[in-house]
Amino acid sequence: MTVAAESSTIRSRRRPRTVRRALRGSVPYLLILPVIVVITAILGYPLYKLVTLSFQQYGLPELILRQGVWIGFDNYSSVLQDEVFWRTLLRTMIFTVANVGLTIVLGTSIAFLLVRVSTWVRVLLTAGLVLVWSMPAVVAVQVWYWMTNFQNGILNHVLTELGVGDYTQHDWYASTFSKLAMVTLLIVWGAIPFVTITVYAGLAQVPRELVQAAEIDGAGPLRVFRDVTFPILKPIFLILTSLSIIWDFGVFTQPYLLIGASHVDTTNYLMGVYVFIEGYAHSDFGRGAAISLLMLLMVAAMSVVYVRRMVKMGETR
Amino acid sequence: MNVRHFAAAALVAALAVAAIGASGASGGSTANTLTVWLQVDAQSGWPEVVAAASAQFKSQNPGWDVDVQYQTWGTHLGKFDATLAGGNAPDVIEMGNTEMTKYMAAGAFQDLSGLSFPNQSTWLAGLAASGRYGGKLYGVPYYAGSRVVTYRTDLYRSAGVKIPTSLAEFTAAAKKLGARNTSKAFSPVYVAGTDWYIAMSFVYDYGGKIASTRKGKWVGQLDKPAALAGLAAYKRFFDAASRASKTTDEARPQPYDVYAQGNAASIVGPGWFSCCVGNYKAQTAQFVMPSRTKGQPLPGFLGGSDLAVPIGADRAAAAAWIGAFTDNASMTVLRAKGNIPNTTSLLGNSVNERAARRSWFVPTAKNWVNVENGNILRTMLSRILTNKMSIKDAAEVASDNIAFTLNQ
Amino acid sequence: MSTASESAPRPPAPAPVARRAALVRRERRRRARRLAWNVVGLVVFATLVFPVFWMISTALKPDTEINSLAPTWLSTDTTFQHFRDAIARPYFWDTVKNSLIVVGAVVALSMVVAFLAAVALAKYRFTGNKLFVVLVIGILMLPQAGLVIPLYVVLARYGLTNELMGLVLTHMVILLPFAVWTLRGFILGIPRELEEAAMVDGSSRLGAFVRILLPLVAPGLVATSVFVFITSWNEYIFANVILTDQSNHTLTVWLSYFYGTSRNVDWGGLMAASTLTAIPVVIFFLLVQRKIAFGLTAGAVKA
Repeated sequence: MTVAAESSTIRSRRRPRTVRRALRGSVPYLLILPVIVVITAILGYPLYKLVTLSFQQYGLPELILRQGVWIGFDNYSSVLQDEVFWRTLLRTMIFTVANVGLTIVLGTSIAFLLVRVSTWVRVLLTAGLVLVWSMPAVVAVQVWYWMTNFQNGILNHVLTELGVGDYTQHDWYASTFSKLAMVTLLIVWGAIPFVTITVYAGLAQVPRELVQAAEIDGAGPLRVFRDVTFPILKPIFLILTSLSIIWDFGVFTQPYLLIGASHVDTTNYLMGVYVFIEGYAHSDFGRGAAISLLMLLMVAAMSVVYVRRMVKMGETR
Repeated sequence: MNVRHFAAAALVAALAVAAIGASGASGGSTANTLTVWLQVDAQSGWPEVVAAASAQFKSQNPGWDVDVQYQTWGTHLGKFDATLAGGNAPDVIEMGNTEMTKYMAAGAFQDLSGLSFPNQSTWLAGLAASGRYGGKLYGVPYYAGSRVVTYRTDLYRSAGVKIPTSLAEFTAAAKKLGARNTSKAFSPVYVAGTDWYIAMSFVYDYGGKIASTRKGKWVGQLDKPAALAGLAAYKRFFDAASRASKTTDEARPQPYDVYAQGNAASIVGPGWFSCCVGNYKAQTAQFVMPSRTKGQPLPGFLGGSDLAVPIGADRAAAAAWIGAFTDNASMTVLRAKGNIPNTTSLLGNSVNERAARRSWFVPTAKNWVNVENGNILRTMLSRILTNKMSIKDAAEVASDNIAFTLNQ
Repeated sequence: MSTASESAPRPPAPAPVARRAALVRRERRRRARRLAWNVVGLVVFATLVFPVFWMISTALKPDTEINSLAPTWLSTDTTFQHFRDAIARPYFWDTVKNSLIVVGAVVALSMVVAFLAAVALAKYRFTGNKLFVVLVIGILMLPQAGLVIPLYVVLARYGLTNELMGLVLTHMVILLPFAVWTLRGFILGIPRELEEAAMVDGSSRLGAFVRILLPLVAPGLVATSVFVFITSWNEYIFANVILTDQSNHTLTVWLSYFYGTSRNVDWGGLMAASTLTAIPVVIFFLLVQRKIAFGLTAGAVKA
């Protein structure tokens, strides 16, 4: 069959080339369509509302009347001029750095530990990590408070018995630092399993030969980590760090429940709690929306470095 | 099957599932279902009263069904806000009496002024006040609780202490009890440092108050001499009688837990504290906390709940259910369970009810809830008791904060 | 020849013995090191798991011991009464059923939808690719508190309040960004060679992806699904607002009733109920855990 005849047969059997190319070009759009549909259908209006509410005076009376009063940037300027906002922001940033740092360092260390122990200890430790991971935050808070309460908390009991000092009836929630330290411990504890399991799986991918070659060259464990392991694990650390920053910056459940609704105040606000109280507990939804959007900007700024690198990773393909 | 077709099919399938779920939704109330939001205390405490009221309502209003949805105290207001925004608020809602004003001022409730309810003329004054705003009736009193002293009869007897009839006697009694047990953890009268319900009782006992209006604006009153005297009296009493943490609240730990552990000779709190006293049930009794004036009870905070009808509900039906739920039969059962009924006609002589004879209530401001959420009073008490600030200074700061918050 | 070796001089003989001794010493050192690491591992295990242990041990204690001033490690008076009480609470089994339905639907739907989108983002060059990625991570950054009421209003308009489907869609919306973001990372890491090999036979790109990618990225899919499972199972804020009827509640909302009353908290019951809540998660993880070790980040590593 001549080429002309062939191509005409093909043309008659299949769709014209331009249409086919258009259809093939439409595949990626079809693939992302379900996500777009679901997110737009459910989040589209809330996102729109969040932005518009931030420019309105919208409290409980306005909610009932379904009508807000347009006040331009007043919500934003009132928040940005509020000393509490800036102090809370600073406190939250320090808190986030501490939490993310501890989570990544401890999580990675335990992952390294998993590599070095015998199989039965590894199974035990992994099972333990899953048990920790499976506890809902609200339950973990109750247990944590139960363990650290000054009346008969086991923490005081253990510390006193171990001879670390006299901790009978020690109130771990007396000072702001102590309160936030307890919250940090709780959050880090809950976040370790995800980090450890992720890093551990990643470690399994590091080629043994490279590690051994470095060790033979006389590199200590830290240099091996820096020169061999870390470059390979970099994408994992990027994902974990960016996610941890996002989660820890806006955390609400643990601080609010652990410190206790009757004890959260301007001296120990974190951004997640601040937006809830100033916005929603006070039923000032316009202000709450403004604070939420400001929080979005802040957390984007804090994580932009990691996010950009992850986005760029896709461009080289 | 061509893979492109597969992608399209998967997309359609996903949308179909969502659509089916949405269209099949029949969980919303039908036209003739009355949705009632009560707190979970009713579910565990007096479910038979709820059932009886619903049965009575249904028999008197054929074609109606009642859906009682129990809520928890921490989250029910947030959920209520969401339903108000979404247009599917319940038909009857139980509100804490301190939560009412904000919602009444915002226009969340329907005016019940023209309707009549059981025992309306003898409603407990302190409770009924929380349901009125701008001269109109928005909330029907449901039940109340006051604060009493739960004490160890054996410890009092061995210390030679009689039931005190004045604050001075009580303080002296506390000293005697403390002399018999000097352990760091033992409190003759366990009172949590930041328990503002008790601290404010002292303030009101001395003739002070938290805030009042002048020319339509709220002015803080805690820095006035009467209130300062009350706060000083509270500090004196706390120092003499309680070894509780100066910064913790009245739920951490629960006073009855302290009592059950043997670390308190007496605790101050709601009457139902006697439920959970561990091994000391046989040696536990209650008395009314005395005032500085001999023979009088200390004004107690009258905690309680009201029942309101949100906008958008069927007012007549809702009112009918509320009537069935707050009639004499219901109130008698509630009283038997240790609550204070909403009417003086059924008021008896139990310790709980005697303590309610003198009561105080928070300022009826729409932003009062923000004062509570901002823990202004707790911070003040914490500062006073730990001596971080003088009573006068702490009270001034708190007073300013309260005025600022209430006037927002 | 044997005679030649037999008549060889004696001195070289100690060398193998010395070597063996050195080997034995090294082996002993290695075993000692391993023992040390094992001890550290056990200490870490004990510290991490302690709160879980405390929760379970409290669930098994009688009330008097729970509230006593001197905490006891393990009760000598073990009682299952708290578990009985928890199960007897209203709507326990309904709640279990609801949680399983919601989480099952969320995991199934989310993984399918997210996988398709991740393939598109990782494997196709098209306008809007980068924008979509940024949008996805942007949604991850939104504080949830701000979205609760508007989202409730949207669901009310669709008639999905107090419906499990409403919660399923909400959870999907919260979890899709994370799933897409993570799966994209995995797919990005799969070596080009494998993909190219599949293209040789002339099949369409998408066909190749599904046939080749799916088995390679399956461990990543499984790992992401575990995270989605746990997050959806433990989610409280939206579940609490959207579901008002107790018969529709999920387990986390049901749990909040233990400490939401104005009266005393039943600690033993709460701990028992919490223990019960954790069981399905552990079961799910045990079922899928082997796949995880092989490549939570198999792809991402190679990127």
